[in-house]
Amino acid sequence: MSAIQPDESLARRMHGLQPGEQPVARSTPLIPGTSDDGTLSEDTGKRAPCVLGDRSFEDVTNIVCGYAEAKMPKPWLAALTITSSIAALGTGMILYLIITGVGVWGLNNQVDWAWDITNFVFWIGIGHAGTLISAILCLLKQNWRTAVNRSAEAMTIFAVVCAGIFPGIHVGRVWFAWFLAPIPNSNGIWPNFRSPLLWDVFAVSTYATVSLLFWYMGMIPDVATLRDRAYMRLTKGVSRPMAIPMPIGNDIIVPQLPKPDQIRVLIYGIMSLGWRFSSRHWHRYEKAYLILAGISTPLVLSVHSIVSFDFATSIIPGWHTTIFPPYFVAGAVFGGFAMVLWLMIPLRLILPNFSDLLTKRHLENMAKILLLTGTMVGFAYGMEFFIAWYSGNEFEFSVFANNRVNPAKAPYWWAYWTMIFCNVATPQLFWFRKMRQNPLVIWIVASFVTVGMWFERFVIIVTSIHRAFLPGEWHMFFPTWVDILTFVGSCGIFMTLFLLFLKFLPVFALAELKVVMPQSHTHDDH
Amino acid sequence: MNSVPTVLLIGVHAAVIPVIAGMWYYATPKFWEVGYMPTQPSTGFNHQIHAGKLGMDCRYCHTNVEDSWHANVPPVQTCFGCHEEGKLGPTATATTEKVQFIRDAYATDTPIPWRNIHVVPDYATFPHNAHVNAGVSCYTCHGAINNMPVVAQAESLSMGWCLDCHRNPEKNLVPKDKVTDLYWVQNEWFGKDASERVHEGMTPEALKDTLLRDPPDNCSACHF
Repeated sequence: MSAIQPDESLARRMHGLQPGEQPVARSTPLIPGTSDDGTLSEDTGKRAPCVLGDRSFEDVTNIVCGYAEAKMPKPWLAALTITSSIAALGTGMILYLIITGVGVWGLNNQVDWAWDITNFVFWIGIGHAGTLISAILCLLKQNWRTAVNRSAEAMTIFAVVCAGIFPGIHVGRVWFAWFLAPIPNSNGIWPNFRSPLLWDVFAVSTYATVSLLFWYMGMIPDVATLRDRAYMRLTKGVSRPMAIPMPIGNDIIVPQLPKPDQIRVLIYGIMSLGWRFSSRHWHRYEKAYLILAGISTPLVLSVHSIVSFDFATSIIPGWHTTIFPPYFVAGAVFGGFAMVLWLMIPLRLILPNFSDLLTKRHLENMAKILLLTGTMVGFAYGMEFFIAWYSGNEFEFSVFANNRVNPAKAPYWWAYWTMIFCNVATPQLFWFRKMRQNPLVIWIVASFVTVGMWFERFVIIVTSIHRAFLPGEWHMFFPTWVDILTFVGSCGIFMTLFLLFLKFLPVFALAELKVVMPQSHTHDDH
Repeated sequence: MNSVPTVLLIGVHAAVIPVIAGMWYYATPKFWEVGYMPTQPSTGFNHQIHAGKLGMDCRYCHTNVEDSWHANVPPVQTCFGCHEEGKLGPTATATTEKVQFIRDAYATDTPIPWRNIHVVPDYATFPHNAHVNAGVSCYTCHGAINNMPVVAQAESLSMGWCLDCHRNPEKNLVPKDKVTDLYWVQNEWFGKDASERVHEGMTPEALKDTLLRDPPDNCSACHF
């Protein structure tokens, strides 16, 4: 982050911009005969470019604003149709649950947390990549983050939205969910401040608030760009209010029916909070951005630590372990990056103009993080098992041996081994350069990891509680169709929100992208 | 001058604060429950005359209040015990029209559908006898019944209101022989400052010490 040079040619030529005018994506890779787009060079003396195709500042602005101003490509529309149908299905399931009661889920007296909390931890974990990219990688001055930070932050917000649904509806009587908040009330009682479930409410709501502020504040200059471009088009006379001359008295002014640009000026205008690109604005923006990055950094660690307390502070064998906080945080970053990759790779296909900004180097870097965090998670699995044996606690060891690992004794052995295969085995492919440079392989591994991380939470929650100390308290959990469709529906809600974000908001941080372009470093040669 | 943030800030507060204030004031049992005064069957029952002017003890009609979890409403036989034709003699002021529905109900052996006013929800258990025997006056929960021609709910009966007393019971305890003596309780006991309340050597603190146990304030005290 450094001072932004005003782009004069952009400011001048914005007046001539017509809606729908878009730069064309390069169809051929930079290096002929290979799939390399030029960013995968292993020459350590040269930094891989963050923006391809010799783009000017103006090109970058047009690329980023282009999709918000023109019609979206057909694949986007097809994807939105599918995901919004799934989202509607999920909303229907939630309504059905609220109207009928939690009995429509497969929970029973023994397994009283199952898919609801699994889904909650799954989604809240996915949110961690956004904060890690925007806060920690910002403080570490990792320039490559500029291409993915905005969309990863958006993904964080949407994942937290999905995560928030599940604890809210699993309480059964949703209209009493406000009991979670410490509000003075006519019941004369407060929530139990000694319970990690309450800390969880604070942790997640703090996280949601800070992430939302961070995301929104970062977006203000880019939203203002969208506003100004729409305003320029309006003042050029494309859609001006119409005056009807009257024989007597004043003319009647008829404002034209709202055109897209008029709506854009209004909504982006309110959202950009009067941003005018002045130096003072930028100065305060950068200060605020750093402060928020500083606030968010501990949140990356705290949120999932506290989520893990939901389990770790109880005395149930399999939950009551000290390794949970770091293990959960590593798993959350792991699952979050898998989801970022899972979204970004199809995004390059659906919105091809963005592939100049989102290069293979970005994918490779994130694949490396996936390898690192996947190995950390694998270490945690091993250490958890080791301590269960080494501690001599036969109950804890029994949970691992008889409830999870041993196919002869554990009914959920397949869930445990699915988790191990997806989370520990598949990321090891990324030791090979060819594998971590191939988007298709990365996407497949990311899919496996996403599945594996869901199973990790399922294994932790269900296999620990489905057998208590007495055999009379042994019970299996079977999901009902409502369980399944609610989870599928939450995926639909997540992806619908993300697709709408791609259309209506600036997907890249323009100022930051321009800072990492060669034009900003004209004195590098001396 | 950039007015957007200012306008948004004021606008959001102007929209949100009335909602919070409205919830705070209106969405409470205090607003919705206090003053509930349903119309009773026929000419009703005048507590002001019976409990106030005539000075009848509450337990003459509500016979089980000291013995049962449930505080009973008397059967028609209790009313008929006095209001049988000619029983009260020529000095009785109740006109025949006013009490005719009692005689009809007695003759046809049908109960009078009195309407319940003080309702504790099903998920909360309220043992009436425990409270009366501990020295909680009728007046504390039901108000000045002896002044009500038509009974209305005097207190919110919210959970916060219950806990308020369970956490500080001494302010509402009265000597046990005075529990149903509403005039005395209002004037001689609650009419005085707490430090001056003494009756046969019993102060509020001393009354609290006579309780078998401290009033519970855990969830399962009432919700079980």
